[in-house]
Amino acid sequence: MQLEKFTYDNKIVRNFGIASVVWGIIGMLVGLIVAMQLYKPELNMGNQYTTFGRIRPLHTNAVIFAFVGNAIFMGVYYSLQRLLKTRMFSNVLSNIHFWGWQLIIVSAVITLPLGITSSHEYAELEWPIDIAITLIWVVFGINMFGTIIKRRERHLYVAIWFYIATFVTIAVLHIVNSFQLPISFLKSYYVFAGVQDALVQWWYGHNAVAFFLTTPYLGMMYYFLPKMANRPVYSYKLSILHFWSLIFIYIWAGPHHLLYTSLPGWAQSLGVVFSIMLIAPSWGGMINGLLTLRGAWDKVREDVTLKFMVVALTAYGMATFEGPMLSLKQINGIAHFTDWIVAHVHVGALGWNGFLTFGILYWLIPRIYKTELYSKKLAGFHFWIGTLGILFYAIPMYWAGFTQGLMWKEFTSEGLLKYANFLTTTLQIIPMHILRSIGGALYLIGAIAMTYNLAKTMLKGKLVANEEAEAMPLAKVVVDEDAADRKWHRILERKPMKFMVLSLIVILIGGMVEMMPTFTIESNVPTIASVKPYTPLELEGRDLYIREGCVNCHSQTIRPFRSETERYGEYSKAGEFVYDHPFLWGSKRTGPDLHRIGGKYSNAWHYNHMMDPTSMSPGSIMPPYPWLIAQKLDVSQTPAKIRAMQTLGVPYRENFDAVAVAKLNAQAETIAEDLKQNNIQVKSDREIIALIAYLQRLGTDIKANKTTIPSNQ
Amino acid sequence: MFKQIKDLAGGEFYLILSLLIFMAFFILVTVYLLKMNKQHLVEMSNLPISEPQNNGYEEV
Repeated sequence: MQLEKFTYDNKIVRNFGIASVVWGIIGMLVGLIVAMQLYKPELNMGNQYTTFGRIRPLHTNAVIFAFVGNAIFMGVYYSLQRLLKTRMFSNVLSNIHFWGWQLIIVSAVITLPLGITSSHEYAELEWPIDIAITLIWVVFGINMFGTIIKRRERHLYVAIWFYIATFVTIAVLHIVNSFQLPISFLKSYYVFAGVQDALVQWWYGHNAVAFFLTTPYLGMMYYFLPKMANRPVYSYKLSILHFWSLIFIYIWAGPHHLLYTSLPGWAQSLGVVFSIMLIAPSWGGMINGLLTLRGAWDKVREDVTLKFMVVALTAYGMATFEGPMLSLKQINGIAHFTDWIVAHVHVGALGWNGFLTFGILYWLIPRIYKTELYSKKLAGFHFWIGTLGILFYAIPMYWAGFTQGLMWKEFTSEGLLKYANFLTTTLQIIPMHILRSIGGALYLIGAIAMTYNLAKTMLKGKLVANEEAEAMPLAKVVVDEDAADRKWHRILERKPMKFMVLSLIVILIGGMVEMMPTFTIESNVPTIASVKPYTPLELEGRDLYIREGCVNCHSQTIRPFRSETERYGEYSKAGEFVYDHPFLWGSKRTGPDLHRIGGKYSNAWHYNHMMDPTSMSPGSIMPPYPWLIAQKLDVSQTPAKIRAMQTLGVPYRENFDAVAVAKLNAQAETIAEDLKQNNIQVKSDREIIALIAYLQRLGTDIKANKTTIPSNQ
Repeated sequence: MFKQIKDLAGGEFYLILSLLIFMAFFILVTVYLLKMNKQHLVEMSNLPISEPQNNGYEEV
């Protein structure tokens, strides 16, 4: 056999790298703006397209799918070619993948500020974009498996297992969490409702963290860290154990996002137990990474890329220790819905994902440009200001979360809530929010310094677009040289398709045990007779609530704590959400819970509050929504929405769609009339009327039969 | 804290089932790890660094 000559495609690696940096800066900048809006709401510039509820999802989507997403593809395309000793399967597919992914991001940048959202966190994009994501993901998959098939290295290194698991699991998660019924080109309803929708969403949400922010990064860590330190990974056995246990356990842990909600108790307990077990494989990865540097710690002092890697691994270790802790019900009871969770995810995002990406960029760009880094000093500056940024971000947020969580629960000696006014607890933590934005700004300055440094490096060198390499071809028929070759995992390492199927089975087990009973056994979601479908006006109001992203700051699920039932009212029951396509429980209480807001205040209060929140709650940090009063409610889709709901099983009577608009107008007239009584002149066809109708309905149904409320616990 | 696990109104079945699946899974992985060939492990862990460094200024 003769050595074969071929080339590595560095251009696609470079393109994904540049995209990651550019989108990273944009995503972080939007993050900084939303952080500042939390103490200076006027920074929305009085504009609906730049208001918190609409651009907070833009920030999360940009940093997860644009910054981290492009960084994943950069790392995978670089390492895959070298580990398999072959060029990527197809240049055309590589380019379709690159440009397709950027188009998806651009469509997110356009649709999210317009309020076009499905409201599922980290899956906000509407159905046509979901389909585009699926197609581009398949292109990535074909390109990856094509490369694996034409490889010149018989065995698949552990990094590639992580890439395969990422591909398979993200495909499954994305498809299941996109079961939507389209109503028009840019509007759809989720097929599942209430508790079931919540379970699917957090099975997705949790595992998006696992298989988008974690497994591909672990794969990259297993390739780039040994390269940087020039020594093999500490324990290959540990990496195997770590891989299988991580992908097996992670998938069960989703329900820890739904503790104390109306999700069946056994599913919550499963989520807790598996979350705690998750420490082991997560720390297995961290330890394996850090111990790879054994005997090379002197290099860490010299080499800035290794510094970034060490902080990244430490942040990973901290975040994955904290995750299981936050899953303990007692801790979750205080931490959930507060800034503690924001701190937790940012230790992961800024530390683990951000720093690992920076480390790889500083290592990789000079190599594919055949030059040295423009300024090591500037990279050192980036490291320190970035680290400082993480500390300034995380510490105030922990402080804020702890403070607010405890304030919500504090009672006076008379047995009354000490801080009955929610706003008091919000205003208490404003200084922490200011500090947090300073931390974010420091981190962003570091990223800008890196951009300058890398741009200068690129200008100094010249891209080796096609890097020459040579390797022995792989014999067509694999001959088992010794008995050990016939061991099942050795065979598995050679057979990527079988490997993919096995990892698919492993990740499906947990999801199925949790979801099947909740979907098929009726007793898991007890119904309540007095809970009725929304009126057409309320349904339209609900869609406005979704459009404005209210769910980003207001939860709709009251936990069975005295501190919550005292503040908000009766705790939430599974049966109350059976017509909620999608569920709107939320994950953060920047403002109070709204599940029992119905009937609490007058229509006039809501009107004035939406016009200017500070008029009703002095000091409120909620932005005003004057456009809801200026804009006419679009009722052209109402009949279609009713029909869609009927298809999904909501029991509107037959032909209700034909009279829906008339019913809607009649209800709107009543509300407008009531406002008129209170000296508020507003036309009944305005959006605000629909929103008020929805808010006044929230959580009121069960009051009709208080004696027969079934308990979930 | 155990009352949350003990009183599940008929949901214990799922917990026991998942415990069994978990045990079976880990026994399989452990058996497989114990039976692995040492030399193969060394080969595999050297994969990323066995290729030549392509920058002149890098130390090898």
